[in-house]
Amino acid sequence: MVRIAEEWLATCGGCEVTVLDIGEPLLDLLPKLQFVHMPVLMDHKYFGQTGEKEFEIPEADVGLISGGIRSEENARVAQEMRKKCTTLVAVGACANFGGIPALANLYTLQDLMDTVYRKGRTTEPADNPSEDIPPLKDRVYAVSEAVKVDVGLPGCPTTPELVAGALTALLEGKPFSLPERSVCDDCPTKREKKAVATLKRPLENVQLKEGQKLEDVRCLMEQGYLCQGPATRTGCGGADKVPRCIRAYMPCRGCFGPIRAGANPMVDMMGAISSIGLDARQIEDRMATFNRFVGATGRLRPLPR
Amino acid sequence: MAEETFEPLIIGFCCNWCSYAGADLAGVSRLQYPPNLRIIRVMCSGMVHPNLVMDALTKGADGVLVCGCHPGDCHYQEGNLKAQSRADAIKLMLQDFGIEEERFRLEWVSASEGPRFAQVVTEMTEQIRELGPSPYRMG
Repeated sequence: MVRIAEEWLATCGGCEVTVLDIGEPLLDLLPKLQFVHMPVLMDHKYFGQTGEKEFEIPEADVGLISGGIRSEENARVAQEMRKKCTTLVAVGACANFGGIPALANLYTLQDLMDTVYRKGRTTEPADNPSEDIPPLKDRVYAVSEAVKVDVGLPGCPTTPELVAGALTALLEGKPFSLPERSVCDDCPTKREKKAVATLKRPLENVQLKEGQKLEDVRCLMEQGYLCQGPATRTGCGGADKVPRCIRAYMPCRGCFGPIRAGANPMVDMMGAISSIGLDARQIEDRMATFNRFVGATGRLRPLPR
Repeated sequence: MAEETFEPLIIGFCCNWCSYAGADLAGVSRLQYPPNLRIIRVMCSGMVHPNLVMDALTKGADGVLVCGCHPGDCHYQEGNLKAQSRADAIKLMLQDFGIEEERFRLEWVSASEGPRFAQVVTEMTEQIRELGPSPYRMG
């Protein structure tokens, strides 16, 4: 019996839904698993957020953490999880790279507080709340920036196949890792290395006929849709390998993060865009667009003025 | 680091065929130029990927100088033209990263232009000394 503890930090809860979304393979896994701690599922409350008492996270073999570290409380929960769990798994884009909340890293904490509590047109100016709530960190951190993480499952949300695959591997004592390949390597669309249109807005429809197979569709980037495929790690396709968004005829948004740990998706995307003849100047807010899910891990920071 | 003791750190990518020889000539001619430049010899200015430049600038360098052959003189026919189009992309990225445009320079220096090399390095060092440390400089 493997004991599992699950925690959610600064996140939406989508990754927890993914765990439930595993489907039939979950039936095979469940008898071998024992969830000892999972606030999102069991509504397990604990005191200690404001320091009255220490956390009570039970010992576990595998710890799953979703969400990045936004507040001091998040950081303490992550540290406690690390202490109590033998293997720590970061689930989802937020835990691995900060995710959407980490877009806030483009601004200083002071800027954020001013905007939320004082500068809004309909906001009555007030002080930052400080009573009975944990203080915020200066920026959003990925879990791996605070504690050692053994396995990372990226994605927004991560995929049921990955969670099931990782859990199975851990149960069997095998190592689990993702390939260092890009989404384009698994994308079935036709590439001719030349854009046939200028950049389009994301809401415009992809050109295709009814029933047209993906193999016959022109690469979305070459059609002018900003696709993060070239700078994003593959693995979201599951068994049939076709990337999730591409399967729905949508361009990749980059939720699996950079292909290698040290890669800079921003620079890689600029290269990919200009090499097929698109004009990067037309892209609004390039910094945030290209780092949409990877704002922690030092990739987004307040711009010097 | 106090303002008055700030010494800029500039990474220079010099192409093997023209600019590195130009830098060599500046050396053997005993021309004086600031010691702030750290030269990395590359086979062609066209092989200096924007990744290298952005990595340098975001991980501690205060400036990056890329030197190649004059257009038309490239040992590989059109490597320096590639460098030129990469420079355009790099300038755009500098904006996105909030780095001053002056911190990156692409210059053509031929093997016989030792004095020009010394002059470019002097100019750039002075310019960056005025700008101060890179916003990404660590420590």
